[in-house]
Amino acid sequence: MTTMLSVRDLTISFRTDEGTITPVQNVSFELDAGRTLGLVGESGSGKSVSTKALMRLLPGTATIAPGAAMHYRTKSGKQVEIEGLRAGGRELRRLRGGEIGMIFQEPMASFSPVYSIGNQMMEAFRLHRGIRGRAARELAIEMLDKVRISNPAARLDQYSHEMSGGMRQRAMIALALSAGPNLLIADEPTTALDVTIQAQVLELMQGLQDELGMAMIFITHDLGVIAQIADDVAVMYLGTIIEKGPAREVIRAPLHPYTVGLLEAIPSLDRLDARLKPVPGDIPSPNQRPSGCPFHTRCGQAMAGLCDQRMPAETTPSTGRSVRCWLHAEEGRHAA
Amino acid sequence: MSDTLIEVKDLEVRFPIRSKKLFKSETVELRAVDGVTFDIKRGETVGLVGESGSGKTTVGRAILRAIDPTAGEVIFHTRHEDVDVANLEGEALRAFRQHMNLVFKAGPVQLSSLTGDMLRLFRPRMSLVFQDPYSSLNPRMTVRDIIAEPLVASGMVTSREEVDVRVREIAGRCKLNLEHLRRFPHAFSGGQRQRICIARALVSRPDFVVCDESVSALDVSIQAEIINLLKDLQEEMGVAFLFIAHDLSVVAQISHRVAVLYVGKFVEYAPTEKLFFTPRHPYTHALLSAVPRADPDAAFDPIKLSGEIPNPLSAPSGCRFHTRCPLARERCSTDVPEWREIDEDHFVACHFAEEFDFSRVRSH
Repeated sequence: MTTMLSVRDLTISFRTDEGTITPVQNVSFELDAGRTLGLVGESGSGKSVSTKALMRLLPGTATIAPGAAMHYRTKSGKQVEIEGLRAGGRELRRLRGGEIGMIFQEPMASFSPVYSIGNQMMEAFRLHRGIRGRAARELAIEMLDKVRISNPAARLDQYSHEMSGGMRQRAMIALALSAGPNLLIADEPTTALDVTIQAQVLELMQGLQDELGMAMIFITHDLGVIAQIADDVAVMYLGTIIEKGPAREVIRAPLHPYTVGLLEAIPSLDRLDARLKPVPGDIPSPNQRPSGCPFHTRCGQAMAGLCDQRMPAETTPSTGRSVRCWLHAEEGRHAA
Repeated sequence: MSDTLIEVKDLEVRFPIRSKKLFKSETVELRAVDGVTFDIKRGETVGLVGESGSGKTTVGRAILRAIDPTAGEVIFHTRHEDVDVANLEGEALRAFRQHMNLVFKAGPVQLSSLTGDMLRLFRPRMSLVFQDPYSSLNPRMTVRDIIAEPLVASGMVTSREEVDVRVREIAGRCKLNLEHLRRFPHAFSGGQRQRICIARALVSRPDFVVCDESVSALDVSIQAEIINLLKDLQEEMGVAFLFIAHDLSVVAQISHRVAVLYVGKFVEYAPTEKLFFTPRHPYTHALLSAVPRADPDAAFDPIKLSGEIPNPLSAPSGCRFHTRCPLARERCSTDVPEWREIDEDHFVACHFAEEFDFSRVRSH
């Protein structure tokens, strides 16, 4: 497998009225071609911000700390350093949409309300693939058909408000795929949908991925969805990836106390009468980030003098897995 | 004494939809809720699930009389027995409203026919918690005033001291810090805001609260905390909940009984264990199969429902689910299935419910 995307030491800060906050700290991960990485975490954990950096879609108040590296291998095998691309330049425009596509949670906000669905899809074909006219129209019909929208020829001339939520989300997927991306970033694409429609969309995305061979970054807070769709998973807490590894293994045998807590907090359809176990305490606000390990304020196994002082380094207990926790570091085990 | 709190009989809510054409305007009726019958017991949580557009919210609002039902009955069984409120009029009624507590004639009250002042008298006995804790709190009011509002607006409690006592008591139960009462909502996180909403809903010591998607917007760990809080409050205060949500696993955790709604009609209503482990309706079965489990070994093989939920303006004939039902037969498109008790406390509307075995194996 070739590494398609490699992110190293990504740190993002925002200037706000209350001072500088750093919602993403030292995030590193890799993604191989054709694989799906699930990014999980509670709201404010930096999931969306870090993927927006990959598209260079951060607002003007944001700065990426020097030393960050975001290396992406294009379809033609060229290595691109995303962090160094000129804002508004041709290369960046080619990257957005054509190489890396994005789907957002709210499809209503992602479509232009004044152009028809077909118009917007054909624009993508023209810009990224040089296909226009009748050929573009036919390709657009084919794409809508692929996402199983019935009567695609008629739907093509409709506007986004004329569709239901599930259909709109499928049209959004068709639009994102129109440009033929190599990597698809899906930011909570099924969160607003009903379970039955969610199942349809997940299955559709997996099918299209197999067919087109693209890689996916799937952002969600639902570990159930992760278990079904992701090959690998990275768990984020307050802007830091605290654990990552193959989705199966992480869910089966989580290492970080936060991952354990998240899994225990999920209501299950199998244990109806068991009392739920929430992760104790509240997520600290981003401008009051705790010292040391960010999770130590809520962790039942925190070790005074260690966890509240120093940030644990990433350790790899077994191949493919990694965790940032003193309990799994040499030094921490001595202290415990 | 029967412990039934609310009886809903053949509840119907229709909305007129006016479609303007060039030279004529037509009015068609949208049947949002079309003949729903069920009951809620004192201190019980009834879960209400269904896809968006199925009419969940409308059922909740119609019971609270926030929307006027078009037909059917909502009967509220009261416990207190002092004043014959049903016969209070004019001055006497107004005087009564100044009175500190609401005490009602024993026996049922036809909620669906109450109007004006009479309905307002009833308001503090029922309450609502919304989905979005951000838009449902007035940013210009302190938390204390927000929680006190139902008491003040209903005239239930008039002395400031007593309002304070009541607010502090409920804030404590909802695990809110007393010093938070002086602050404004913007200072709080989503979970804390939802606790404020719950405190406001419970301050009048209602018998019945509708929770409309109250935990859907929260992160899993906060969601778990709010579910536990609602369970505890129910145990302490004996309040009954109608818990509306589209997330089946959340509903399973909190509900004693669960109803499944499809295009304005109930398809199944049963105690939680029965509904989740031995569902009898193909739609319930399909919904359950579509929930992704956080277990990589659990089989995820959602039953494919073709298409989307039908528009209630043109609800299918016969059984409304027949257009998407993988097991539909000829009869389903012509005959409306009867709402019947198939097993003790287990109601279903399907012609062939006896033939299906959707029992689910419990995994650990």
